[in-house]
Parts: sequence; structure tokens; C-alpha cells
Amino acid sequence: MSLLIAAFGFGLVSMSVIALAAVGFTMQFGITNMINLAYGEVMITSAFFAYYLNQARVSVWIAMLGGAAFGAVFSFLINRFVYTPFQRKGTALLGMVIVSLAVSLMIANGLLPIVGYFSVSYRERFSQLLRFGDIALTVNQIVIIVLAVVVMLAVHALLRYTRLGKAMRATAANPMLARNCGIPTQRVIDTVWLITGALCGLAGVVAALDSDTFTISSGAVFLITALAAAVLGGAGQPYGAMIGAVIIGLVTELSAAVWSPDYKQVVAFAILVLVMVLRPQGLLAKRGALAAAG
Amino acid sequence: MNTYYLANLLIFAGVDIVACLALNLQFGVSGVVNFSFIVFQAAGAYAAAVLSMPPDTAPDYSFQIYVGGYQLPFPLPWVGGAVVGALLALPIGLVVLRRLRADYQAIALLVTSIIANTVINNARPLLNGAAGLAAVPQPLGSVVSDPNSYQYLYIGLTAICVAIVWFIAARIVNSPYGRTLRAMRENELAAGALGKNSTALKMSIFVVGGAIAGLSGAILVGFLQVWAPSTWLYPETIILFAAVIVGGRGNNVGAIVGALLVPVGFEEVTRLLQRMNIGPPNLIPALEWVCIGLLILGFLWFRPRGVVPEQRRVFPGAPAVEEETRWVVGKGAR
Repeated sequence: MSLLIAAFGFGLVSMSVIALAAVGFTMQFGITNMINLAYGEVMITSAFFAYYLNQARVSVWIAMLGGAAFGAVFSFLINRFVYTPFQRKGTALLGMVIVSLAVSLMIANGLLPIVGYFSVSYRERFSQLLRFGDIALTVNQIVIIVLAVVVMLAVHALLRYTRLGKAMRATAANPMLARNCGIPTQRVIDTVWLITGALCGLAGVVAALDSDTFTISSGAVFLITALAAAVLGGAGQPYGAMIGAVIIGLVTELSAAVWSPDYKQVVAFAILVLVMVLRPQGLLAKRGALAAAG
Repeated sequence: MNTYYLANLLIFAGVDIVACLALNLQFGVSGVVNFSFIVFQAAGAYAAAVLSMPPDTAPDYSFQIYVGGYQLPFPLPWVGGAVVGALLALPIGLVVLRRLRADYQAIALLVTSIIANTVINNARPLLNGAAGLAAVPQPLGSVVSDPNSYQYLYIGLTAICVAIVWFIAARIVNSPYGRTLRAMRENELAAGALGKNSTALKMSIFVVGGAIAGLSGAILVGFLQVWAPSTWLYPETIILFAAVIVGGRGNNVGAIVGALLVPVGFEEVTRLLQRMNIGPPNLIPALEWVCIGLLILGFLWFRPRGVVPEQRRVFPGAPAVEEETRWVVGKGAR
């Protein structure tokens, strides 16, 4: 029993990491209609950016902000110079998926000669244990949980209570109508890429910090977990992604405790398959992944 | 140019042509974006390997563990590879192709590819895990012992397979069935309105493509004699996509041209560059991937229909609709 409670503690950390990643991914899809398969690679690039800051004796928390800023700028540039031109050209949704996969490949391999294959980790990790009954977490992990809660509340506040959030929701619901109502959709979309890019960069640093060591190939793993949470909750739904993150975080950590940690991603994938078979629209969305009628 | 190099080149070309023809049937002709294509090739390779290898208790093979080990005579492992590729397409297709939207299908298949690799990598008792299978017997290796003439034999076997697959692909593309597939690709809703069951169509081409992919894997493993998870990571699928996009989606000639240009031509060039030892050791392979990405983006931007574009099929008696007028009508200018 105490094993399961300890696993629950790790589940809290996992779900925080996944939620940070999945919310950004799902907002990109929901608002700008772009399945950005380069998301995982932007995450790992930001993590490496923060790593180099950290190597230059910058505190890991400030490096985290640096990673977020890097992610924001990088995502914005990718959208501005690759995705938007292709979308303007009228490339179909499927074509855009291929484009983003090509971009993902280019980022990963463009980075490879710079960072190498080696697994690295941040210095000055705060690893003293704090105990709450059977749950034992490091200071790092507690900061990650608090950070995720704060960011989720901030996303909620942004979408619910600000004019920008309203404009984002309007753009997501119907871009043409939003434009006709005088919402500058292009500027809204640019802002969305900056914000989700910051989330992506932050999530990358947090995920790298959480997994102790990371390599260039961690990007694919980051992408899968974010994808699984986003699809589980109903793609394009920020709240759905949060729920998806909670479920996937808990289930993967519990399965790691009772089965084997090697198969964490496989369990996440099994959940994804179940959702696709039983409820393709995801938990929250009305249509989501379902095919058009016919 | 020695025989070994020539044999290498021709056999890889044959395998890539077979694979590109299969991917073209799925992606080019039917619009199914199969990002887990390489999994089917891998399944065929593993199947052919364990069908031709002796059991893992045999003295020379006890350093690896795997299921099967049936020591079947030559054509059977290759047939088995194709059959396993087709069988694997059934469960994956049933989960992915039934209800999901097309872009979700693509993502689901990509995730499938990554996860399948993780599973095989970690589950050692199944197919020897990350180390992979080694010392796979050569097909007909006991009949022809001279390595030089064996290479010519293998080139011949590959050529026969290419011819068979080309024949099948040509028949599919030019048949009413192929026409239905193209109709589905162009407008799934309209094809559905005409009574075409798009799920069944996608399933069928998924299975056919899976079988051909499995065969390509079987040919490859018989020549390489080794097969491991690191040889079928998901980016390998993207090379084949690049080939089909560069060659020209939707027509078999384009697929072959693409196979000769991208996986064969491109990799030969980078191999030559690598031999010249420029920069750090992993610079050239990494740059090669960057170039593959650029190639995809460049072709999608400048020449989306590829080097050999698919011909517009116009039927006698069809109302002549010019590209330009359609565009104008679509804009609502009249």
C-alpha cells in the first residue's frame, strides 16, 4: 500500500510535467488549427538552451525562464516562417502534419552536432527529500508541482477573464467570424504562438529537470506524452488536456510501481488506443478526432 | 567499382523501390498518411528472420533469444514476411482507420511507430531486444556457396520481387478499384455519397501496402543478415515519404524515381561525403536528415506534385473544366 501511495506522489509530479506540455500543445491545435509535431523537439531544444545557461553558472530557475523565453521565440519563428506561409498557400491539414514532422526532424538533427548524443543533467539539483507520510518528494519536485498549478491557474485566468483570452476563444471557434467582428486574428495567433511556445519551453526544462538526465532523443518521448494527454482530453481543449495529464500522470506512475518503469510510455499509449477506440472525440470535445460525417 | 558495392547498391535500390511503391499505394493513391510504414517493413524482416533461423537453442544461436526458429526453406520466409505485414495491418487499421479524422490517423500511426520500437527494444525475450537478431541465414545460401555468384543470385531475386510488386501496383492503380481509391483521396465525402465505403477501402490498401512493406523487409534482412530496433526508427518512414513526395505522389513511375533519387542517391552521396571525413563524425548524417526535411519542405512548396507529376485522368465525354475557371467559380466571381 505504501508503495502505491509513494507512486501517487510521483504521479503528482508526472501530471504536473505532462500538464505543462499538453496545455500548450492543445492550445496550438485548438486556436491555430496546427498539429505541431515539432513540439517535442522545441521542448528539448529549450531544455538544452537552459542547460547551457545553467552551465554558465546561471541558477536553474532563471535558466528555466530563459528556456521559456527561448521556446516562445523559437515557436513564434517556426510559425511565422514555415507554418503560416504553408497555410496561406492552402496546404491541407494532412500536408501541414507532414510539414511539421519535417520541421521536427530538422530541429532534432540540426541540434545533434551541437549537443551530441550524450545525456546531460542540470547542475545544483535540489535533491533533499521532504516526507509527507509515505510520499517522499524532492524540493525540485515540489517546485514543479507548484509551478504547474500556478501556470494552469494562469492559463485559466487568461482564457476566462481577459480580452485576449476571449479573442483566442473566438478565433478558435470560428476564425472567419472572429475576423469579421474586428478581432485581429493574425495578431491573436502570433500571441498564441508566443504564449504556447513559452509553455512549451517551460515544459521542456521542467521535463528535463524531472527526468534527471536527458538526451536529444528525449524529444520524441516528450511529444508522445503530451499528445496522449491532449488527445485523451479532447484535442484543442485546454481543460481536457489538464484532465488528460492528471489521468496519464497517475496511471503511468502507478503502473511503473506495480509493473515496470520501462513501459511507462507503452501504458500511456495503451490509454491513447483505448480512447481512440471507445471515445475518439476525447473526454471533453464534442467532435475532436471524429471524422466528418459521411 | 567492385561487385560487393554494386550488389549493395542494386539490392538497396530494389528494396527502396518496393517500399516506395507500397507507400505510394497508401499515401499517394489513397491518401492514407501511414507514418508507421517502417513498422510493417520491420515486422516482415523479423518474420522472415525467425522463420529462416534455427531455434535459439541451437549451438551457434544461443547468444540471442527469440520466438520461433523454424528453419523454413527459401521462398517461405519471404512469403511469411509479406503475410505478417498484412496481418499486422489488420489490428492497427481497425483501431486507427475506422472512425478517426485523417490528421488524427496520421498522428496515431506516428505514435504507433514510436511505441512499437520502444516495446521491441525493451522486451528482450520476444526478438532479442535492443541487440536485435544477428546471423540470419541467407536465402538459398546453402545452394550457392561462392560469394560472388551469390550476390548475382540475390540481385536476381530482388529484381523478381520488384517486377512482381510493380505488376501488382500497376494493376491496382489502373483498375476500377484504383479509381475508387483516387476518388476517396480527392473527396472522401463525395466518394461516400456514391456508396463507396471509405473505411473498407482504406483497410484494404492498408493490408496490401502492409504485405508489400513486409516483403521489402524480408528482402532487406536476407541481405543484411541482421535486424535491430535501431534500424527501424520512425525517421526512416520520413525518408520514404520524402521519396514519394519528390518522385511524384500517386503514380508508380514517380515512386520509383523518388526511390532512386532520395533513399538511394541521397544516401550514396552522404556516404561518400562521410568517407572524406569532414567535420565531427556525426555531422554529415545529421546534416543529411536536415536536408531530407528541407527536401520535403522545398518540394511541398515549389513542386508539390513531384518530379514526375501524376497525370490528370480525363475521361472522354467528361465536361471540360479548366483549372482556371474552376478557381474563378470557386472565388464566387461570377
